[in-house]
Formats: sequence, C-alpha cells, structure tokens
Amino acid sequence: MIGLGAALIGGGLSIAGGIFGAGAAGKRARDAAKDRRRLNNKLNTLENSRQEIINPYKDLSSMISNPFSNLSVATGAAEIQIEQADIALANTLDTLRSTGASAGGATALAQAALKSKKGVAAGIEQQEKNNEDKRAAGEKQKQDALMREGQRVQQGEAWEFAQREQRQMQELDRTAALLGAARQAEAQAASDRTGAITGAIGAVGNIASSYYGAK
Amino acid sequence: MENNNILKNLYLKQFNQSNAIAYSKEFIASPSDYNFQLLDNAYRNAGKVYAKIKIAIETNKCESEHCTMELAQIKQLEEAPQVSLDFLSSLIGELSVTEESSFDPNNNYAYTVANSLMTSKPGFSKTDGYNAYLDLLEDGSQQIFFTGPAFEKDLIINSAALSALLNSDTSLVAATPDINNDMLRLLTEVNLFDPNMIGENKQLKATARISEEFILKNSDGSFDYEIVDLGNGKGRNMLQFDMTKIEKKVTPFINAEVAGLMSSEQDTIAAWNVYISKGTSVDEDAQMAQDANAGSSSWSYEKDLPLQQEKKVLFETKYKEYFMNNYLKQFTTNQMPTVKEDAAVFDLAEAKKAKAQKFLDDNNLN
Repeated sequence: MIGLGAALIGGGLSIAGGIFGAGAAGKRARDAAKDRRRLNNKLNTLENSRQEIINPYKDLSSMISNPFSNLSVATGAAEIQIEQADIALANTLDTLRSTGASAGGATALAQAALKSKKGVAAGIEQQEKNNEDKRAAGEKQKQDALMREGQRVQQGEAWEFAQREQRQMQELDRTAALLGAARQAEAQAASDRTGAITGAIGAVGNIASSYYGAK
Repeated sequence: MENNNILKNLYLKQFNQSNAIAYSKEFIASPSDYNFQLLDNAYRNAGKVYAKIKIAIETNKCESEHCTMELAQIKQLEEAPQVSLDFLSSLIGELSVTEESSFDPNNNYAYTVANSLMTSKPGFSKTDGYNAYLDLLEDGSQQIFFTGPAFEKDLIINSAALSALLNSDTSLVAATPDINNDMLRLLTEVNLFDPNMIGENKQLKATARISEEFILKNSDGSFDYEIVDLGNGKGRNMLQFDMTKIEKKVTPFINAEVAGLMSSEQDTIAAWNVYISKGTSVDEDAQMAQDANAGSSSWSYEKDLPLQQEKKVLFETKYKEYFMNNYLKQFTTNQMPTVKEDAAVFDLAEAKKAKAQKFLDDNNLN
C-alpha cells in the first residue's frame, strides 16, 4: 500500500507512509472524539431522566392540629331543660289558680323553677371548663408533635442531601471515568497522528528544499 | 438519483470485493499506472514561484509596499507542505469510511471512487482513465481534483473546507455506528441482568438470564409458567416475563443511548439506513445491503439534515423495537424453568387439569 502510496502521493516512501499513518490516526482521533460526545449526551440524558429523590421525612406539620380547639358547649339541651321548667311552672300556676291555692305555694314553685335554671347554668359552666382543659391539653400535644416533626424534617433534609450527594458523586465518577477513557484514546490517536506527520516532516523538509532550492 | 447512487456504491463495493478483475485478460495484459505524483506535480512550479518571489524581496523589487504581499506569499509557500500533509491525511482518513463493512451506500458514491483511486485499487489507475491533481491556491488553501470514468462530474475537495468540516465535528463521509456492539453493550446496562451475568469482555455471558423480579409469578410466589405443547400429549413449562415491567425498566436507558447517538445526526442517518429502518436483524441487514433493498425507506443526507423532530421520535421508537426484537427477545422466549422439578416434560392433559384446579382453588370457586 505504502509503495503504491508513494507513487500516488509522490515525494517518496516516508511521506506516503506518514500521510497514510496520519490519516488512520486522525480517523481514530475523530472516532474517539465522537465517542466522547456520545457519552456526554448519554449521561446528560440519564441524569435528566432519573427519578426524583423522595424525602420520606417530608414536612407534615400542616397536618398537625389541636382536635379540641373548636369544642362547642352543648347549650341546646340546657335551653330545652329551661324551657321545660318554664312550661311546668306555668302549668302548675294555672292549676293552683283554678284550685284556689295560696300565693305562698306559687312562690315556692317559682323558687323551685329558678333553682332548676341555676342548675342548668352551672352545667354549662362545667362543660365550658372541661372544654378549656381539653383545649389546653390538645394545644400541648400539638406543640409536642410540631417539635417532633421539626426534628424529623431536619433529619430528612440531611438524609436527602446525603442521598443526592451520593448519587451525584457516583454519576460524576462514572462520567469522569468514561470521559477520561475517551479523552485518553483521543489524545493517543492525536499523538500517533503527530508522530506519523513528524516522520514525514523530515522528508517534506528535503522535498521543500529541493522544490524551493533557492531557500 | 438516490437509488442510482446506492446502486453505484453497491456495485463499487462488490467490484472491489469480488476479485473478478483478476480474471480480466485485458487488465492482466495491460500496465496499470498509479503514478499520480500528487505532491511532485503540485510543487513543480512552486519552486520557480518561490525563487522568483525570494529574489524580488532580496533585490528590493517587490510589487507591494514593504514587500508585504511577497512576504505573505513566501510564508504561504513555506507552510504549504505541512498543509498538504494535513489535508491528504485527513482526506485519506475520511475516504477510508467507504471501506467499512457497514458503510451506508446512501453516501455520495464519488467518495467511494475517490477512495478506490487513493488506495490504488485495481481498475482505478491512470491507465483506466483516472487522475488526481493537488493544486496550491492563492489564498493558501489547497484543492484536490479527481477525474475519471466512474465520476459523473469531477470531484473537487478544498483543504480549508475539509478542515472546517472536521473542526465542527462533521464528516465528509458518514460512518455507520456499530449497532451490534452498541446493543450488546446496552443489554448489560438496562439493569435486567444481575452484574454476575456480565463477563470480563463487558458482554453478557452465554448463560445469562433475566433477573427473577421480571418473571411472572402466582400469588403464592410460585412461577406462573406458560405450558408449551410438545406434541404426543406431552408438555413443558416455560417462564413468562412481565414485559410491561421490562419495557418500563429499559426505556430510559434506550432513550439515553439514542440521545448519545444523536450527538452526530449523520451517524443517526447512517444507522437508520443500514440497520434501524427495516427493523430486521443484523444478518438480514447484511443481506439487504447486498440486494440493494436498503434504499426504499432510507433518509437522505442532503435532504433530511438537520433531522426533524418527527424523524428523531421515529428513530427512537424503531431503535427500541430493534433492540427488543433482535437482542432482548432471545432472553424472554423459550426460557426453561430455573426450578429443576418444573423443567421436566409432563403429561399435558393432567397439567392443564391441575392448572385449572389451582385457579379454582385460588379464587374460591369450588
């Protein structure tokens, strides 16, 4: 091939050998560069298409609430009780009037009705106190839970950071290894090409001198 | 035109590979002159020009003020041999693609002819009517000029143009990626096989099997076999695979592979034309190239670059099909059970009855 190349190219065997050698090495260098670009694109796509890291400790504090914060007092039953006491008092007074009973009996009845109403008011007050106690206990539970959630979220963020760091480091290592290999192949081929050309340079120098004899 | 180009490329390939010329008495009897002497011819007059300019400078008889033009010409001439070396070596490297076994015949056939001439193939000598000239141009660039019977018109390539192409990662002749090698490697990257199934050569071992997590199982953890009729009332269990899960697993890796391939759209077209478009196997592709059938669905380098988005999507789809059908399928079909007792040949009628009974039991249908 090189013998024929010398006839084809002219200038002698070493030039032809240099040109054909450099041609092959140049092709290898371009192939290696192509590999490097391909690997870069591939890794970028893999990097972009990988799954999101899910933090198992994600912040759930918005879901924490005090279940006793909005307790209402059951006043409906008390209102009925008062109403019934009033009705009973009115009915009894009617009976007393029709039977000609004394005014003292009516007064006693009115006092009994009043006492009944006071009992109802005291029941409502007790309910309200119970509710206030529950609200306070619930608030304490909520604060405790928020504190625990805050600590858990901090752990989660640290875990997420560690995972991301680990994955990124793995991919960076892999990219660096692949790119390193491709670059090495590219550099080797380029060096081969330079070597082949350098081998031909001496001969070219001779040729140039003969062509440019006046130099 | 394209079909004519493919036919010429395939004819040249067959002509160069066939050894037929050894049986041509006319060829044997005549001298073959490959004495193109590219450099000698290119620099023959350069010596005189160089001497003339040099004398003009030394005797202060330059045409330009301060001999600016003459000094530039001298510099150009002194650099010219290096430019010639770089140009010819780059050109030879590019043209050598036409000799690769998976060369896409949709590339311009003129490059195949030029390569035949540059590599002194029988039938492409001066005696056969071919010639090549290297010219040093005034702007410092150089051009090579090919002529001969197989060229429809003379082929001219400029050194500056070639250099600009190569510097922008573009090839004169598109090389076809080694799809077979790529897909064998891809098999090891898609996470369907355990790492111990991969050999030292970075390819799957002959005994490689898809990981158990992709095999279909019954609710009780036993394998959900497909019963294959062997004839004569006998049957055999075969593993069934969760193809949806497999496809979901491999798709991101295939997409990344395609994205990598598309870093060179020329190569993508070559891969499409030679392998992917027909969705056939590598062996069939080789046959297809011989039969010149590859051209019917091929993409044109002149018309289809840059690749439109729809073509990229089509390529990705067909690439995946090609991988699934030609490389992965062998691992998902006719796979014998891994449990020794389940691998034995059995009575088909009894097995079918047992399977039906199991279904009834599992679903409380008794």
